[in-house]
Amino acid sequence: MLQVSNLVKRFGGIVAVNDVSLKIDRGEVVGLIGPNGSGKTTLINLVSGFYKPDGGRIVFEGVDITKKDPDERVKLGIARTFQIPRLISNMTALQNVTYAVVGSRRFREKRMTLAEASAEALYYLDIVGLLRKRDLLCRDLALYELRLLELARALATNPKFIMVDEVMAGLNPAEADNVAKLVQRLRDEFKLTIVWVEHVLRIIMRSVERVLVMNEGKLIADGTPREISRDIKVIRAYMGEEVVI
Amino acid sequence: MVIKVEPRRGRLIIHLLNKWRFEWTVEPRYWRNPLIAAVLWICLPSLIPFMPRGLPIGPTTLLTALFMANVVAISAIAHSLQTIGTGRLNFGPQFFVVVGGYAAALLNKNYGLSPALTFLAAFAITALVGLALSPLTIISRGIYFTLITIILPLILYELVFWRVDIFGAETGIPGISRLVSTGNIMDDYILCFYISIAITLVLLLIVDKVLRSRWGFMFGVINEDEDVAASFGIETKKIKVVVFTLTCGVMGISGWLIAHYYGSFAGTMWLEPWLLIFILLSGVLGGKAAIYGAVLGSYFVVLTRDVLRPFVGEWALLALYAVLLAALYLLPEGLWGLYRKTRYREYVPTIRVRRKT
Repeated sequence: MLQVSNLVKRFGGIVAVNDVSLKIDRGEVVGLIGPNGSGKTTLINLVSGFYKPDGGRIVFEGVDITKKDPDERVKLGIARTFQIPRLISNMTALQNVTYAVVGSRRFREKRMTLAEASAEALYYLDIVGLLRKRDLLCRDLALYELRLLELARALATNPKFIMVDEVMAGLNPAEADNVAKLVQRLRDEFKLTIVWVEHVLRIIMRSVERVLVMNEGKLIADGTPREISRDIKVIRAYMGEEVVI
Repeated sequence: MVIKVEPRRGRLIIHLLNKWRFEWTVEPRYWRNPLIAAVLWICLPSLIPFMPRGLPIGPTTLLTALFMANVVAISAIAHSLQTIGTGRLNFGPQFFVVVGGYAAALLNKNYGLSPALTFLAAFAITALVGLALSPLTIISRGIYFTLITIILPLILYELVFWRVDIFGAETGIPGISRLVSTGNIMDDYILCFYISIAITLVLLLIVDKVLRSRWGFMFGVINEDEDVAASFGIETKKIKVVVFTLTCGVMGISGWLIAHYYGSFAGTMWLEPWLLIFILLSGVLGGKAAIYGAVLGSYFVVLTRDVLRPFVGEWALLALYAVLLAALYLLPEGLWGLYRKTRYREYVPTIRVRRKT
């Protein structure tokens, strides 16, 4: 579904993503882990079109999207969430999901009105359990609710492939567990392919089928959670000790 | 059927060519207050001939001030929409006003085009200039965009002096056809005011419709966070180019009004910073680029200057700026905010102002 070849991104003298190549198949849930500053979020920003790469190629479902704008990638079925929730604080929860419906390809294909888009946004809010909070301004929502809203907004673009960036950061264990279950449920209900960037290793190792590990901008390991937890390079670079699943 | 109208739950859905669809809210409660405001606004000039004599301001001065308020309002509405739809603050709106003014003046004088035709030409030429400059909204943002747009009027200023043969420098272009000529000066002034008010009202209606549509919603998202807008499928580049182009065209209409109202057009006078300040302040003082606020703001700014002039003479502009500073300080949500505070909560795109309130 997604094929990244020799991707490079530099910020001045720092090489944030250094010759990364990877392949993600349809229906997979892939964990992307690595220490802080290893280039995980930069990789997501490159795939979503937020950053333009300095080298390499990104192909999504056979289409070269390396030079495509973010809005074109969304219409192809790529969605993302942000590590630090980036919602429009002056808008209500419903409006924040509505503009994602408006930006989706389906909105144009079905020639929907704004009212119809709003009705559809309610559906996504209901899925993540925020229906009752629909009329609250985003600045009045708690972090946990903002994370859920990020997921609802990403879903509203009608994606095939979704990149979830540290959706559990700052949440307590119970909230993190709920979000993890929700991501699993969304994958099954919407038949999504997911790349899941996370720091909470115990949860991610249980939730994904394959793990990619980045360190200093490079992809250093690719394997099942069990293989990764025993990979000496990963243990040295990131974990410091073996994780017992 | 070219047009099909379908009433649905308090709204009229208008299908055009089975392709485009427009919605129009027909519920009377949404229309009551705007209608009252429009009627009062339209009745305003008819009261002026009955003004008591001996006032420091004469009826013609007041009618000219009201006309100028509409001219500034047209640019301020366009500028507000441009700020919302592009997420960028244009510091050279007077450039586009003057381009429209020169287009009208030159076409009328050299080619004998009637004011009706120069209206279309002024809009089209200014929009074309806007289209040529619209890539600026893609390649620059923030202070860079603002700086580039500050330079535009300065370039035109130099150009006007360089080609005196075409633009007439400070003398300008005299002998332009008047907007109306009935033989009665007072009637001319009142008719000119009504023409300007008609343009302002139509513009308000169109912009209000746009802002309440999905386009306005998308403009709001672009204004709030352009990167987020693009990340969720909103075609930011196309929207910014279209908004910039069309709003520049509308600013050109202000220039058209000025050229045909005075019968001569000297761009150097209108390229000066006071017009920029009037347009910007009308938008901000009116209420963070709320379009109805822009009208209130422009009336406040222009009338305050002209009412102060008989009392403080040449100090009028200084006194105006003092009043405006006080108003900006005391009314963070602008004049429109005073009205909006009492209304239901609804998202209408406005510019994002980084200020503690």
